Parts: sequence; structure tokens; C-alpha cells
Amino acid sequence: MSSNRDEFDLGSHVGEDQVVGGAPPEMEHPTLRTELRGYLIGLGLAALLTAASFWSIDEHLIYGPGIVMALIVFGLAQVGVHLVFFLHLTTSPDNTNNALALAFGVLIVSLVFFGSIWVMFHMNQNMIPARALMQMRGG
Amino acid sequence: MSAPGTALRAGSDPYHIGHAPSTGVPEYTGHGGGGPSPKRIYVGYGFWIFILSDVVLFSCFFATYTVLIGARDGGPGPQQLFDLHTTALETACLLLSSFTCGLTSLAVARHSLLWSEVCLAITGLLGLAFLGLEAHEFIGLVAQGAGPTRSAFLTSFFALVGCHGVHVSAGLLWLGTMMAQFPAKGFKESIRHRYLCFSLFWHALDIIWVGIFTVVYLIGTITP
Amino acid sequence: MTLLGKLTWQAIPFQEPLPLFSGLAVVIVVVAVVAWVVAKGYVPYLWREWITSVDHKRIGIMYCMLAGVMLLRGFIDAIMMRTQQVMAYNAPGFLPPSHFDQVFSAHGTIMIFFVAMPFVIGLMNVIVPLQLGVRDVAFPTLNSVSFWLTAAGALLVNLSLVVGEFDKMGWLPYPPLSELRYSPGVGVDYYCWALQISGAGTLMTGINFVTTILKLRAPGMHYTRMPMFCWTALAANLLIVAAFPVLTATLAMLLLDRYVGFHFFTNTGGGNSMMFMNLIWAWGHPEVYILVLPAFGIYSEVVSTFSNKPLFGYRSMIYATMAICIISFMVWLHHFFTMGAGADVNAIFGIASMIIAVPTGVKIFNWLFTMYGGYVRFTTPMLWSLGFMVTFAIGGMTGVLLAVPPADFQLHNSVFLVAHFHNVIIGAVLFGVFAGYTYWFPKSFGFVLDERLGKWAFWLWLIGFWVAWGPGYVVGLEGMTRRLQHYDVAEWHPWLVVAEWGVFIILLGIIAQIAQIVVSVRTREQRRDLTGDPWDGRNLEWITSSPPPPFNFAVLPNVTDQEPYWDMKARAREIGQLTRPEPEYEPIHLPRNSPTGFVTAFFAVITGFALIWHIWWLVLLGLVGSYATFVVFAWRDHDEELIPAEEVARLDRANRAARSAALHHRQLRRETRQEPSE
Repeated sequence: MSSNRDEFDLGSHVGEDQVVGGAPPEMEHPTLRTELRGYLIGLGLAALLTAASFWSIDEHLIYGPGIVMALIVFGLAQVGVHLVFFLHLTTSPDNTNNALALAFGVLIVSLVFFGSIWVMFHMNQNMIPARALMQMRGG
Repeated sequence: MSAPGTALRAGSDPYHIGHAPSTGVPEYTGHGGGGPSPKRIYVGYGFWIFILSDVVLFSCFFATYTVLIGARDGGPGPQQLFDLHTTALETACLLLSSFTCGLTSLAVARHSLLWSEVCLAITGLLGLAFLGLEAHEFIGLVAQGAGPTRSAFLTSFFALVGCHGVHVSAGLLWLGTMMAQFPAKGFKESIRHRYLCFSLFWHALDIIWVGIFTVVYLIGTITP
Repeated sequence: MTLLGKLTWQAIPFQEPLPLFSGLAVVIVVVAVVAWVVAKGYVPYLWREWITSVDHKRIGIMYCMLAGVMLLRGFIDAIMMRTQQVMAYNAPGFLPPSHFDQVFSAHGTIMIFFVAMPFVIGLMNVIVPLQLGVRDVAFPTLNSVSFWLTAAGALLVNLSLVVGEFDKMGWLPYPPLSELRYSPGVGVDYYCWALQISGAGTLMTGINFVTTILKLRAPGMHYTRMPMFCWTALAANLLIVAAFPVLTATLAMLLLDRYVGFHFFTNTGGGNSMMFMNLIWAWGHPEVYILVLPAFGIYSEVVSTFSNKPLFGYRSMIYATMAICIISFMVWLHHFFTMGAGADVNAIFGIASMIIAVPTGVKIFNWLFTMYGGYVRFTTPMLWSLGFMVTFAIGGMTGVLLAVPPADFQLHNSVFLVAHFHNVIIGAVLFGVFAGYTYWFPKSFGFVLDERLGKWAFWLWLIGFWVAWGPGYVVGLEGMTRRLQHYDVAEWHPWLVVAEWGVFIILLGIIAQIAQIVVSVRTREQRRDLTGDPWDGRNLEWITSSPPPPFNFAVLPNVTDQEPYWDMKARAREIGQLTRPEPEYEPIHLPRNSPTGFVTAFFAVITGFALIWHIWWLVLLGLVGSYATFVVFAWRDHDEELIPAEEVARLDRANRAARSAALHHRQLRRETRQEPSE
């Protein structure tokens, strides 16, 4: 009792809402060639960004103080490449729930990560310096 | 009586469990009035939510790593300990395994047992290679007295990278189970859904690794 | 390494009469109940219909029952604490410090994790799929696993009473005291493993419900047509998905410190114990909103039903709920203002904590405006809601007071703080689940609860609560710290005596609730709900019969408006018959029952116990068993059972007949009594 659509499963597409009767025919059954190309492009871009990250460690390629920023940018870009080419996450209306979930996740991760760093930085700053602490302990 | 566009066929049962996807309602998306989604969609979505929760878990370990990066207790730091060649090799293994995982998805979609097993096996081998390299790195660190009990910095390093390694190990266990399930059960719907979840998991692990090698190994090596 | 790790006969408290006899009493009761069940031959029924059930309605009821039983345990802890504090003025009291510490820790842990959470999750389980107009949650077997893992956690915590000890640090085990060096016993390990196990279950619940609410709704149910309870359930489950991983990570770090000598939070090696507080409260604050948001949803349902009016300001309620959801992740530092982040950081979190009171206020005003101009029926659920509004408003205000960092420096960890959180948790969460179970009891069990005893319970709880916790604010301002095993300040003593009286009034309230259930069950034939709609409800759960059939709806309802059932009833009144003609019945596939949940929890208990006592071979066995359970589940061929069309037709026709009868009966009543029809 499976329809044509059932037989052909859309690989590793994250759950996307179906626009029933609305999707153009060529989108319904992408060819092996199209799909393979997508994965190859993803692999290529990711490899490029990885290589760029490793090479930028060598200080002569990028302005010193900017290396950390470059690494962050390359990292985020590579995450994006993975999401689009491997996880097929797009901003199309069928994918709204997935994109919103990702946005929520990014928000929480940012709050936990940057929030913790900010809070702990201040906490550590206000700690009694080690030498004074030893003196108070009588050591 | 019913609003335009929401008419149901009399006697239809839109919530098909494990059967043909709902013809649903030809309504524009966004307002969410189309009735229950087909199983493949909500299984994928549910697992995506799980992945995001796992990412939050990792963010705690990332935050702890960043907070404790300077807490060396007089012991060694990133510059002394990290060998970026190993890291590059591990990255290559995992990235390629993500690619082969994608190839497996293509094979599963076309119900090809041979290619599914082959690509999955290659994915597994690459994953094992990654774990092997990582284990070698960990053993080396412990041998030079830079184990996780040496300092808070090393604790947080081992915990973060180790947590990822534990996830990869669990993933490999799952991969092995999938390799057994394809020949045993064929490509029926529940197996394909399970594979969809596995591939989401495996790709997510590579995404986390991007974060790890960027923050832990690369940024860690260049900051004092 | 011995075969049983650290486990020896010393683990059982033979020398300590209090835990020994209470433990013995519990064991006797449990054995007696189990023996009775077995002797009566109920085991096959229980196994088939409840233990292996993947039906959200059954699982929800089991959650609520777990919560109810654990409420009794937690309340006994409360009585012990209050009594100790009355007796211990310039005296040792009856609980030595090590026991008192375990009692207050167990009290908090049980009340939050094994009373409030299961109660709220249980009500969401029973009602959300019904309100969404669908057959079950997205992942029914996972739902069963969630419940049984929660029960496993509860079992481990209770096991610590008899075998070993519980943690002594309070309901959050702050390092360095909770590190191995200063807490070498098994108490902290019991705590951590019990919460890791039940936390995994809760996370699965979060994933399940987010998916269900966003992806599985009846046709036509736009986001802006969802009942308010479902919106608050969505917000709470989003928070579960976002926050529980933080708990898992933090407890894992503590466990790594304790088991393998890591240095996350230790004093030596560069560890930073403040990071524990930071992370645990990053979970802890969203946790309380996980508890309170569904309670707010219950109030929305109850207030609109018993005011005979649609909820006022539905859209503003949605915005307020989602605003609370997001902001709740931005205020966690207010739990440790005094830890030394400095004025700038404190100020920002303090302001954020005050801002979160604004959407909460919006909700309160919306409930008030719902009642205004409505035809209000003062039934028991409505009384709980009114009691909530007064109690929670005051408790919330003390919260805003505490959100001011300089004030908090005086009041942090005083009994004022303890009074505040009991005020908001009891006032909002507990009153909410009490309103909820009274309101939805007829739907689950098919008969209405006794109103008189319900009202007695409410008044005893309301008065008892204020007598118990009003003094808390006073002694807190007088300088009393929390968790005191003994004290010598004369001013505090009379207030603590008053508080003890309050606890006994609450005890009477609990007795009234138990009596209500016993009496109602005994007289259930007289109080049958035959229509499925005893309160003239507004949302889809009231369309089904009481109790609903396993498939909930023979045909998924077509939703055309907000408050779908009210809308349907209005149209049915207009045309003088049910809006939808009898459908063509088709057989329905339902997910098959599965022992996966129970078996997983069984191995979880074994693994947890083994980890606590360092019985490593048993740990391995438990892990292998868990993996094997997954494989067996993954290998099954038949995961559905079919309900034949004739059975569907029979059940649905009965329901349609009952609703038709109710329609005409209500029509008649309106015409003769001239009750308002809207």
C-alpha cells in the first residue's frame, strides 16, 4: 500500500512539511546525479574550509590578531555547508519548522556558552588573589 | 459547513500509522492547518530536536572548556600537547565518513542492498579510524602525565573530546546494527526512518567535530 | 575488588531506628500491595493494560499516580523538618544533623523531580493529544520508556532510605562539598544517577511533545487555533529540550570528578566549583518554568470553562507564554547573586528577572478579564484557580523583591527565600495540578469526583499553606537561615510553631483529597459522566467519551475555529443535531503495546544501583541488557494492532448517541431555566 512517493525516499532530508500537490515534478524525484553532485559540492567546500582553517594557523597567511576571527568564520561556514548540503536544511516554507528549531537551538547554545563565559569571567575576577588567600589561611 | 480548503474525504483516516503518507490538505504551509504530518516527516523532525538537545549538551562542555582553559595547575597547555597532524587526519576521516554516509542515504533511497552495505561499511571503517587516532592521542597524553586528572584544563579537554568520542562509539554501534538490519529486514519504512535518524546523527557528529577542532585544537593552540 | 563493590551489610541502617523502621514500613507496605495484586490475579491485566501500555492516556495516569505517591513521601519529610525545627530551639530535636540533612535534601529532590515534574507531564500526556485532536503522541513507545525511566529514578531515590544514604547537600549538591573528598559516601551518587536516569526520560518526553504539538494536529488546527494548554505545553517542552541536556552535562561532570578523579569542580588541580552553580542554575531556572507553564495552561482551560467565556486575549497569552519561555533562559544568575559576579552582571540579571514578571502579569490580567462579565461557576477546579491567583501573585511579588540584588544579599538562603519558592511552586504548580486532576478526572475515569470533599481539600490547603509559610517570610526577615537543624534565637520559635500548625492543616487537606478519591470511587455509579462533557467544556478533549476509546477519535475532527468543541456545540445547537453526519467507519491502526519501557527501566535501575555501589560487572551487564532491549525493539516485525471497523463503529456510535442526548438535554435546560447560552 505504498505510493510512488513512498518507494522513493528522499534520503537524509530532515523532516520537511510536504506541500501536497504544490512541489514541481522535478523536485519530487531528484536524479542520482543531482543528489550526488550536492554531496560532492558539500564535501569539496567542507574540505576547502577545513584546509583554510589549518593553514591559517601559520601566521604569515592572515593578519595575526584576526586569525581567531577567521577560524570562527571558517567554522561557522563549514557548519552551514554541512547543514545545507548534507542535512538538506533550507529556508523554504516546507522547512520552516526545522529552521526555527535550529534558530532556537542556536539561541540556547549562545546563551549557555557566552553567558557562562561572561559570568565565570566576572566571578574569577572577583576572587581573592591566591597569595592573599594563602596569607588568610595562615600558609 | 467546514472552512474552504479543509474538507476531508468522508470516512478518511488521515493519521495513517506506517502507511501511505497523508494526502493531507492542499493548504499553504505556515499556518499549520494541514492535519497530522506523515510519519517520515515527524520522525525526522523529532530526531532533529534530539540532535539540537545533544548540541546543547556539547555547548556545556564547550563552555566548561573555555572557562577552564587557563586552569593548568602548573601543567602543560594546548601548545605543548596538541599535534595538529593527528587532528587534521581525524578531521579528514570524519568528513569523508559524513560524505559516505550521504552516499549510503542515496543507496537506501534506491533500495540497493549492495551499495547501502558497502557505503555504510566504509563509513564505519572511517569512523573506527577516527576513534583509533583519538584513542592513540589520549593514550599518548596519559603516558606523558597529561591525563584528565592532571589539571582542570586537561579534565575539560578529555571530557569534551571524549564526549564526542563516546557519541561516535555509540554511532558505530548503531551503524553495525543498521548493517545487520538491512539484510534482515529489507528497506521497509521503519528501517528507512531509522536510517534517516542515523544519518542525521552521524552528520551532526561531524558538525560538532568542526566546533571541536576549531575551538579546542586550532584556537587553543594559538592563544597563550 | 569484592564482588559487591562497596555494598556491605553496613549499608542497611540497623543502628538508626528512624530510617530503619520507616524503611521497614515502606518495604512491608510494598510487599503487601504486590502480594495482594498477585493473589487477586491482577498481574496479567496490569501487565497487558498498564505496564506495557503505550497509550498516552494510560501513561499519563501512571505519571500522576507516581506523583501522588511521592507527594506523600515528600510531605512526610516536610512534617519531619517542621517538627524538628519546632523542637530544636536550644535543644537537639529528634533528627541528628546527618539525618536532617538527608531529609531536607530528599524532600526537595522528590518534590521537584518526582512530584511536580511527573504530575505536570502526566496531565500533558493525558490531555494534549486529545486537545490536538489526534490519536496519540508522535512516539508512543518512547513515551512509555520516559515514564518508566522516571519511575526508575524514583525507585533509586527511595532505595537510598533502606540501602545506604541520600545526599546531604540539599536538592542541588554543590561542590566542593559534594566532591568525593568531602562526601565519600554513596548519597551524592544515588542522587546523581537517579536524576541522570529520570532526566533521560524527561528529555525524551520533551522531544515527543514538541514533535507532537508542532507536527501532529487535527486538520484545520492552525497554530492560532490550538488550546492554550497546548501552547503552554509546547513552551514547557521546548524548555525541557533546551535545559535538560545542561543538567545531564553538569551531573556528568560531577560524576566524573567523583568516579574518575577529574577536576571540574574540585578545590585542587585548578577546578572551579562556581562553574557548577552557574551550569546547574542555567538548568534550574528553566526547570521551574517547565513546571509552571503547563500549570498556567491548566488555569487558562479551567477559568474559561467555568466562566463560560472564551479566554480573554488569546493572542497576547501566546506572546506572553513564548516570552516567558525565552526570557526564562536569561535570568539564571539570580540564584547566585551573592556568589560574586559583581554589580554589572548582577544588575543585568536582576533587571531580566523583573522583566519576566511582565508577561506573567499579562496572563493574570487575562484570566481576570476572562472571568469579568462571565457566568462564573465556583467548582473545585475554579476554586483552585482563584486560590492560585491570590497566592501566586503574592509569591511572585516576593520574587521580584528578591530580584533586586542588594535585597537578595540580605535574603539569599534565608527562610524568606524558602517561603518565596514554596509560595510560587505550591501556589502555581501544585494548585494547578490539583485543579487539573479534578477537572480532567471524569475524562480519564468516567466519573466525577466528590465536590464537597474537593472544596474541603481546597480550603484546608489554602489556609494551611498560608499558616505554614506566612511565618516563613517573617522569620526570614528576622534573619533565620534555611536548613537549620537547631537554633537558639527566641524570636523565631513562635513562628515555627505556627508553621507546624499550618503543616497539620495541609495534612488534613491531603486526607480530604485521599478521602475524595476513595469516596468517589466507592460511589462512582452515581456520579458517572455519561456524556463525556460534564463541565460544558470548550476544547476537543470533551468530544470523546469518558474514558475515551483507545483510538481517541474515530475520525479526526475538522477544526474550523479556536475553542473547536465550543464552536461545534454552537453550530450543533443551531441545526438541532450533531454537526458531522455518521462517518464511514474504517479500521484503525494503533501502536502495539510493548514491554520496552519497563525492561529498559529495569536495566536502568540495575545499572544505576551497580554504579552507585561500584559493582562493575553488574554495570556491564546492565548496559548490555539495555542495548539488547533496544535491539529486540528494533527487530520486531509487528508494531501495530488493528481495531476492526465494527468495534470503532460501536464505540463511536455510543459516543454520538450520548452527545446527541446531551445536546437536547442542554437545549431543554436552557429553554426552561433561561441560562445564558454563551
